[in-house]
Amino acid sequence: MPSDLAIAPQATHRRPRAAHVLGQNAGLILAALILLASIIGFAAMFWLEQDRLPGNFEITSTVNNTMPLAVVAIGQSIVVLTRGIDLSVGGVIDLTNALAAIWLTGGVLHMIGVSIAIVLIGAAAGLLNGLLVGLGRLQPIVVTLATLSIFQGLAIRVLPQPGGAVPPGYTDLLVNPNQPTALIFLLIAILGWMALRRSHLGVGIFAIGNDESSAVALGVNAMRTKIAAYMIGGALYAVAGLFLAANATAGDATTGDGYTLTSIVAVVLGGVNLFGGRGSAVGAICGAFITTMIVNILFFAHINPLYQSFYEGLFLVIAVVFGALIGRLVRGRR
Amino acid sequence: MIAAPVSETPPGSVLPPAIAAIRLSKSFGGVRALREASFAATAGEVHALVGENGAGKSTLIKLLGGRLPPDSGTIHRDGQPIRLAGPADAAAHGIGTVFQELTLLPWMTVAENLLIGREPRTALGLIRRADLAPRADAMLANLGIRHIDPRALATDISLAERQIIEIVRVIVRQPRVLLLDEPTSSLVEREVEWLFARIRELRAQGTAVVFTSHRWKEITSIADRITIFRNGAEVGTFTTIAETDAITLMTGQQVDTLYPTPAPIPATAQPALELTDATLNGGARIGLSLAAGEILGIGGLAGQGHRELFLGLFGAPPLRHGTTRIGGKPVRIASPADAIHARLGIALVPEDRKSEGLLLPLPVRDNLTLPILSRLSRLGVIRGAAERRMSKEMIERLTIRTPSATQPVGALSGGNQQKVLLGRWLLADSHILLLYDVTRGVDIATKHEIYELMTRLAAEGKAILFYSSDTEELAHLCHRVLVLRDGRIAATLTPPALSAEAIVAAAMQETHAD
Amino acid sequence: MSNLLPSANALRVLAAYGAAVLLFVIGNWVHPGFASFGSVTSILLVASFVGLVAAGQCFVILIGGIDLSVPWVLNAAAILLVTASLGQDSRAIYAVAVTLGMGALAGMANGIGVVWFGVPAVVMTLAMNGIIEGLALGLSGGMTCSACASYAPPVIAAAVHDVWLGIPAALWLWLVVIAVVSFVLSLTRFGRTTYAIGNNARAAYLAGINVNLTTVALYALSGLFSAMAGILLVGFGGQASLGMGTPYLFQSIAAVVIGGVSILGGRGSYLGAAAGAASLTALVSVLLALNMPDYGRSIIYGVVILVLLLLYGREQRE
Repeated sequence: MPSDLAIAPQATHRRPRAAHVLGQNAGLILAALILLASIIGFAAMFWLEQDRLPGNFEITSTVNNTMPLAVVAIGQSIVVLTRGIDLSVGGVIDLTNALAAIWLTGGVLHMIGVSIAIVLIGAAAGLLNGLLVGLGRLQPIVVTLATLSIFQGLAIRVLPQPGGAVPPGYTDLLVNPNQPTALIFLLIAILGWMALRRSHLGVGIFAIGNDESSAVALGVNAMRTKIAAYMIGGALYAVAGLFLAANATAGDATTGDGYTLTSIVAVVLGGVNLFGGRGSAVGAICGAFITTMIVNILFFAHINPLYQSFYEGLFLVIAVVFGALIGRLVRGRR
Repeated sequence: MIAAPVSETPPGSVLPPAIAAIRLSKSFGGVRALREASFAATAGEVHALVGENGAGKSTLIKLLGGRLPPDSGTIHRDGQPIRLAGPADAAAHGIGTVFQELTLLPWMTVAENLLIGREPRTALGLIRRADLAPRADAMLANLGIRHIDPRALATDISLAERQIIEIVRVIVRQPRVLLLDEPTSSLVEREVEWLFARIRELRAQGTAVVFTSHRWKEITSIADRITIFRNGAEVGTFTTIAETDAITLMTGQQVDTLYPTPAPIPATAQPALELTDATLNGGARIGLSLAAGEILGIGGLAGQGHRELFLGLFGAPPLRHGTTRIGGKPVRIASPADAIHARLGIALVPEDRKSEGLLLPLPVRDNLTLPILSRLSRLGVIRGAAERRMSKEMIERLTIRTPSATQPVGALSGGNQQKVLLGRWLLADSHILLLYDVTRGVDIATKHEIYELMTRLAAEGKAILFYSSDTEELAHLCHRVLVLRDGRIAATLTPPALSAEAIVAAAMQETHAD
Repeated sequence: MSNLLPSANALRVLAAYGAAVLLFVIGNWVHPGFASFGSVTSILLVASFVGLVAAGQCFVILIGGIDLSVPWVLNAAAILLVTASLGQDSRAIYAVAVTLGMGALAGMANGIGVVWFGVPAVVMTLAMNGIIEGLALGLSGGMTCSACASYAPPVIAAAVHDVWLGIPAALWLWLVVIAVVSFVLSLTRFGRTTYAIGNNARAAYLAGINVNLTTVALYALSGLFSAMAGILLVGFGGQASLGMGTPYLFQSIAAVVIGGVSILGGRGSYLGAAAGAASLTALVSVLLALNMPDYGRSIIYGVVILVLLLLYGREQRE
C-alpha cells in the first residue's frame, strides 16, 4: 500500500476492547451497580427489621409502585438523548390518568380500545411538543413548560375531582398485586429500546443529540427525528398514566405533577447525559428503581420522613459526582 | 509573467465537465459571498481553488456539495443541470464533500461515524452492532490506516485523526466528484502525503477532485489546474502560475516579498521569559528562553506538546513541573488571570479563535477590552468613554475592517477576527505574546499584515513565542526555532541552518536513546 | 448599552412591555376598571414577587444555567423569617439578615456544585431543592413547631403593604431592583463578565476572567433573590405555609424567557424579564376577572406563552 499511514515509530497500541465498552457505557454500568448496591442495602435494612429477606410481596409492590416512573423515565431519556427535555411529563400523566379513570369501563375489547386511544392521545401530546421544538425551533424547556400548563388544564377539565374507577381486571393485568408480572412489560420496553437503538431513527436520535448540525449534514432529518422522539415520549407517559391508574384504581388529575422532576432525577441517575447523545433507556429504568430503593431504605432505616427529601437530594448530587469521576477515569483522559 | 489563463475545459476534451457551476450567486444577510461565479472541473483532474478568505471558495464548495442552496445560477453534473436538496442528495449524484467544519459525532465511535447510513443490517433491518468495528477496521486498513482504533470515541482521537476519518468516510463511497474544503489544515506532512496518494488514486479512476487550500506548496505539488477566486467570482484558471502572481490576482495588489525579515535582537540582561525544568506530555525535562525583541518559533508535528506548552505558560492549565521566570524573577502562573496581570503581561492567541478566543455575538469593542476590564473600571463600573476611545484607536491602528465598533465580531471575516484578537492583547499592553497558529484559516493578504505586525512588535521589544503548522512561516519569520518531539526539544535551529526542510527533518527523526 | 445587539434585543424587550400593556387594555375592555391605577398597582405588586425571583433566575440563565431550587429556598426563607423573628420588630433585622444569608448560602452551594464538582445546573439545583426541603421540613417538624405559626414582623408587613404616592412599598422595592440589576448587567464589569461567560465560557477564561468565581456569585445572587421573595411574600400574606414556593419556579422561568432572555445564555436583559413577569401576572388576572375556571386559566396561560415565544422567542437558524 503506498503511503501507509501507520508507520512503526508511532506504536499502534490499542486499548483493550473491554476498556472501550466500559468507558463508553460507564453511565449505564454505574447505574446498574448503584441499583445493585441499593437493592442489597434495602435487603439488609429489611432483614434487620423483619428478620427475613424481602419476599414476593415486597418485590411485587416495589415493582408495581415503580412501574409508572420507570416507563416515564424511558420516555424522558429518549427526549433527553436528542438534547431536549420534557417538562410536560406531569401534565400528560395527569391527562391520561384522568381519562383512564373515566373511560376504562365495559368489556375487555372496550378497555383495549380505550387504552390504545389513551396512548395515542399521549403521542398526540408529544406531537405538539415535537412540532414546536422541531418545526418551530423553540427551546424544549420553555415549550414543554407551556404545554405542561395546557395538559394540566385539560386534565382538570376531564376530571375536576379525583374519582373514576379502574376495573380490578385491568389492575391485575398491568400491576398484578400478587406477582411482579409487570416486569414483563419492562422487558418488552427494553426489547423495544434495543430495536430502536439499532434502527435508523435510533441512530438519528443519538446523532442529533451529539451534534445537530453535523447530523443534518450527514442526512439526518432533524425535524422528523425530534418529532418522533417527543411522540414516543408522549406515548410512554400515557402508558405510565395507565399504570398509575391501575395501581391507584382511581383517577386524579394532579397525580402526575410530581413525575416531571422525578423523571429527570431517574434519567440522571441512570447515566443519561442531559446534554444529549449519550445514555441508555435501560439506565433510566435502573435510575427509576434506584429512587424507589432509596425511599425504601430511608423508611426501613427509620429516618424521619420529613427529612426524606434531604437525603434524596444529597444522594443525587453524590451519585452524579461519583459517576462523573468514574466515567473520566475509565475513559482515560488524554 | 503571469501564465495566460486557460479556458475552462482542457483542450482536446469532448466530455462535459464532471461538475460545473454556472453563474452561481449566494448572499448571507447583506454580504454577497458569490457573485455569478462560474467554475468547472473535469473527470480525472485535481483542481485547486485558491483565494482570500471571503473570496467565496468555501461557499462554492457548500453549494456544489449540497449544503446550501444557491440564490441563483445552476449546477451541472456531467452536463445535466441538477438541483441539490441536501448533502445526502449530492451524495446520490456521486458528489462527496469534506467540509471545513468536521461533521463527526463526538460521542459515537469512529466505526459508527464511518458507517453511519450504511451500517451492516440483519434481515429484519436492524443494525448489526457487533459488525461495526470489524467493518470499519477493514475499511481503514484498505486505505493504509492502522493507527486509528474504530472502537474509540470520535472525541477521544486527535484533530488530525478526526480529519482523516472525515476524509475516509467520504472517499470510501467512491464519489465521482470529490470536494475538499481545507482538507489539510489539521494534517502534518506525512498525513498530507497519504491524502495526496488517495487523491492520485481517485484521479486515476476518473474522479474529479476539487480542493481549497492556503498552502501554496501543496497546491503546486498536486493540482492539475488552479482557479483563483476574488470577491465572490472566478478570476482565472491556470495550469501553472507563480505564487506571487497568484497573490496579485487574489488580492488585486502586488506583493513584493512574502515575509519581512526579522530585525536583530537587542541585547538584554535578562531573557523576557525563561522556562526551566518543565515537562510536556510527561516527557523529559525541557526549558526555553525567550528574549525581548525575539521571535522564537516552536515547530514539530502536532500533538508533541505544543498545546500543553502554550496553554501551560499561560496558566490554562499551568504546567505540572518547572519554573517560569519573567524578567529573571520566578513567578507563579496558576490561571490566565495571573498571566495577564499587568506585572507579567503575557498574552495568548489560542488555536481556535471562534471557540476559544472571541465572543462572536458580542461587539468588536467588548471583545477588544475583555482582559482589561478591571483597568477600565472604577468601583466596578466601566468607563464608557475611555473604552470607546481605546477600541477606536486599536481598530484604526490595525486597520480592522468593520462597519463600527459595535458590530458583532462574528460578522467579520476570519482575518479581521484574528486582528481583533491580536488587538485585544495590544490594548492589554502585553509584552510577551504566545501566538498559536495565528495565521491558520486567514487569507493571504491578512497573513502578510500579521507577519508585518509581528516583526514590528518584536522590533518594539515584545517577546514572541510562535507556533505555526506552516513550516515556511517558522523558517522565515523566526530568529530561532525549537522543534518539539515527544515532549522534548529535538533540535534548535538558527540561521543559516534554519529552513522549512530542516524543521520537518528534525520533527520526523527517530528518537535516540539519551 | 454595548452588550445588547442593537435592535434585536431591544425589540424583544419592547415586545414584552407591549404584551403587558396589551393585556391591561384587554382586561379593561372586558372588565372596566381593570386598568385603573389602583388595580394596576395591585397586580404589579403580585407581579413583583415573580419579578424578584425572576431577577435571580435571570442571572443564572444568562450564563446558560438555571435554578430549580427556587421553590424551597423561598419557602425555607419564609419559614426562617417567621421563626427567627417570632413576629417581633426588634428581631426583624436579625431575621432578615439570617434569611438572606441562608438564601445566599444555598445559592453558593449550588454554584460550588456546578463549578467545582461539575454537576449540571439542572441536577445540582434540583438536588438542592430537595435538600432544603428536607432541612426545612425536618427542622420545623413539618411546620408544627411552635414558632412556625408566628406572623411576619409588622415592619416587614408594612414594608410590603405601606403605600407611598399611591404605590405599594414592595413595588417601589421592585422598581429599585429593576434599576440596580439593569445597571449592573449593562454598565459594570460584573455584568460584562456575565455576558462573556454566557456567550463562551472558555474564551472568557482565556481572556483572564474568573469564570468560577463569577458563576458561584451568580448562583448566590439567585438564592438571595429567592429568599428576598420569600420574605416579602410572608410579609404580604402574614404567615408562612407549605408549598408557597412551588408556583414561582415555572413562572420565573417563563417570565425570563418571554422577556427575551435566551435560555442558552449570553443574551437578554432583566428589563425584559421584569416585563415578562408583569405580563404573566396581568394575564392571570385578566383570566380571573373573566371568571374563567382554573382549567381554562391553565390552558390559556400555556397557549399565550407559546404564542409569545413563536412571535419573538425563536432561536435563529445558524
